[in-house]
Amino acid sequence: MKRFSQLAVPYIVWAVLMLVLPMGLIALYSVTRQGNSIISFSLTLEHYAKFFTDPDFLLILWRSLLIAVKTTLICLLLGYPAAYFIARSSERAQNILVLVITIPMWINMLVRTYAWIGLLSQGGLIHRIFQLFGFQGTELLYTEGAVLLGMVYNFLPFMILQINTSLCKMDHSLLEAAADLGANRAQAFRRVTLPLSLPGVINGITLVFLPAVSSFFIPKLLGGGQYFLIGNLIENQFITVGEWNFGSAISMIMAVIMMAAMMAVRKIEIRNKGGKEE
Amino acid sequence: MKKGKRSFGKILMTLMVIFFYLPILYMIIFSFNDGKSLTHFTGFSLRWYRHMLESRDMMEALYTTFGVALLATAVSTVVGTISAIGLSKSKKIVRDLMEQVNNLPMMNPEIVTAIGFMLLFITFRVEKGYATMLLAHIAFCIPYVMLSVMPKIRSLDPNLADAAMDLGATPWRALTKVIVPQITPGIISGALIAFTMSVDDFIISYFVTGSGVKNLSIMVYTMSKRVNPSINAISTLVVVIITVVLVLINLVPSFMSKRQRKAEIGRRKFVLPAAGCAALLLVIVWLSGLGGRDSALPYAGETLFVYNWGEYTGENLIQDFEALTGATVVMENFDSNEQMYIKVANGEAYDVLVPSDYMIQRLMDEGLLQELDYSQLDCLEELSDEVLGLPYDPNNDYSIPYFWGTVGIVYDTTKVDLADLEAEGYNIFLDEKYKGDIYLYDSERDSFMMALKALGYSMNTEDEEELRKAYDWLVQCVQTMEPEIVTDEIIDNMAQGRKALGLIYSGDAAYVMSENEDMGFFMPESGTNLWSDAMVIPKNAKNPELAHEFINYVSSYEGAYDNSSYVGYTSPNQQVMDDLAGAGGDYEGINAYLPRTDNENDEVFVYNENTRKMIGNLWSKVKIAASNAS
Repeated sequence: MKRFSQLAVPYIVWAVLMLVLPMGLIALYSVTRQGNSIISFSLTLEHYAKFFTDPDFLLILWRSLLIAVKTTLICLLLGYPAAYFIARSSERAQNILVLVITIPMWINMLVRTYAWIGLLSQGGLIHRIFQLFGFQGTELLYTEGAVLLGMVYNFLPFMILQINTSLCKMDHSLLEAAADLGANRAQAFRRVTLPLSLPGVINGITLVFLPAVSSFFIPKLLGGGQYFLIGNLIENQFITVGEWNFGSAISMIMAVIMMAAMMAVRKIEIRNKGGKEE
Repeated sequence: MKKGKRSFGKILMTLMVIFFYLPILYMIIFSFNDGKSLTHFTGFSLRWYRHMLESRDMMEALYTTFGVALLATAVSTVVGTISAIGLSKSKKIVRDLMEQVNNLPMMNPEIVTAIGFMLLFITFRVEKGYATMLLAHIAFCIPYVMLSVMPKIRSLDPNLADAAMDLGATPWRALTKVIVPQITPGIISGALIAFTMSVDDFIISYFVTGSGVKNLSIMVYTMSKRVNPSINAISTLVVVIITVVLVLINLVPSFMSKRQRKAEIGRRKFVLPAAGCAALLLVIVWLSGLGGRDSALPYAGETLFVYNWGEYTGENLIQDFEALTGATVVMENFDSNEQMYIKVANGEAYDVLVPSDYMIQRLMDEGLLQELDYSQLDCLEELSDEVLGLPYDPNNDYSIPYFWGTVGIVYDTTKVDLADLEAEGYNIFLDEKYKGDIYLYDSERDSFMMALKALGYSMNTEDEEELRKAYDWLVQCVQTMEPEIVTDEIIDNMAQGRKALGLIYSGDAAYVMSENEDMGFFMPESGTNLWSDAMVIPKNAKNPELAHEFINYVSSYEGAYDNSSYVGYTSPNQQVMDDLAGAGGDYEGINAYLPRTDNENDEVFVYNENTRKMIGNLWSKVKIAASNAS
């Protein structure tokens, strides 16, 4: 039996090379100066200092976090009832609905985001509907609203599917038990369904928040060239400005913030579980 | 009450389905539009599908997407499964550690993972292209496969394999005949996840690709600046492929379940349709490899890598050159000189580049270019004297002009008073009369040119004080005027009269004016950037001989005519320029086509490392200020 464990050795080597080393390189770049060769480099924290001392950069970070939080909240508010509805449907309907939600996810994100450009631009369907309702001259494309819309559109299915999975795993006899014990529907939902679906909610939040913070093509396609989020700032450093060290430092900052956020969310989950066991 | 809730749910679901499918439907409908518009349907036509099939770029993007996805799925499924089995028998500490490592690509923002891969390949001098994209895809797919296989392994009886081996099975047989069949559902769902992740990926592919290799996402990202309904056509094709695959995967098992017992299906649930789809896709990929070229031509089988601006080549230029030489041209596009420079300076190999004046000087200074071999060039006599022997390359030792022109203001004559333009020059971009109605161009050089000229300075100033003032001018503009900062988007948008004013390259203006006669082009008296883009051959070019051949063809009457008439930029070929601007030419009477050569305030950019850095940083800050103001 032990000999099977050797099967993992090649992957361990691969993972160190392809997963750990790249992170190490980002960390290395973030504390060195441009033009350093691998052999002789001097350490510096100036890139971090540059980021944290400039209110403009901090504002971008703040706005990126804010729009990601908004996206996550909207996805949660729309996604939970939808997932709940699906979970309550017959098995056949469930399969179809899940398929209906899944198909768009299989279609390339860029393609789906691109499709919104035509709808939102001047003379496009949605723009015309807005005009019908008296919003003459309102620009839809290249606004923050368009970016938010694009993010919700792209990430909502993750939320629905995650919550749905955990709702489907739920043991229905628990609800019957709650009803037998005199709980009304609202109580049963709050005390039984909601806590049991929490892992799905948390996974959903992770799957929405993470890409929403760092997305750079949604802001670029729907927000226009003057709309900058932290992802665009990083892209810019690597693709056009050429300040890789500074770009690496921003990447590290992002990675750390994300790890912290994820750990905080997991804590909530663990505390919740702990509470139940008591 | 219960009923009320159900109908609320139904309404919500219906709205959501509309929300999810409306854009997709809209895209499908407009892929059949006869016109070029993305907003007005003018009639049914298949022209964009024809366009798509004829566009090698698009078809290759399609093959790359599915080819990489299939290979990455196959490799990551096999490796992921074997490794998961191996890890399940490893020590707990190894297992926990590897779980953390596998979490890296899943828990990190994708852009961070992408940059990690990019730095890895660049640090170890791996040439970026198909192989790097595939490696990166395998690397981020394996953790997902393991994640879905692991729980199945955990639920296995650990003694199963031992029992098999006690009964005389070899470890290999125990693995393939006992363990793998038990965890098949996990493997299949892992493979499906891997495939989805790979097909859908943009960010990682974008950072690790090279040598002109594009997948669908990268193609859409780089093409989305111009209105291009063929994107709708290819997207529709993808929608159809994906829907068929998904419906097959989901329907076939339910058909089978009517005939077979559930226990039996557990195993086969996905195998048949999945294998069928894989085979189908493999055939597509294999077909793409076919289509050989005529081997009698001088450069048959050779490849030329060209790195050029987006939307900068004639409609048939590449095809004609390929037909003439038998070579294959791989063209990659950039948005700015700076973007091109980063790639070239990091060792990516191209045969021909088309940078601008000051960037050519920089590349020359840094020894990145090779001298042209005039024994292989026969195009010099055909070119206009105005674009030869310019200060950045006085003897044309390194460069042959591709296009030239100026920068000016494109304006809607129905909305903008010419008197305002004449009185204010570039300062019209600070005139609040036009607030919310202007485009700036996302080019650090030309934006600073505009600001410096508006303030009456030289655009080549090295004076930090003057650059500061120009920066303040630009910040004032973005904070008070609500401009949109664009690149090539300006072309179609101005052609449709979406805004009143925009800073624009003369060639784009010529195109805009040829499409919409209400548009005018104005060059302020205070001067402008007299620029030229020229073809150069980098030192690390793999096929300089073919590169010379390409330069010859582009400069010849045929090539230059195709280029200039299609794109709208001024040709350096004297005859072409005269014909297009003259009576009956495409650009007759369009002032933007003929560059101004008689204003003493006009300048040619000179490269200076210090000012470049300063301008680059300041322009980033202008854009950030614009974003924070919105």
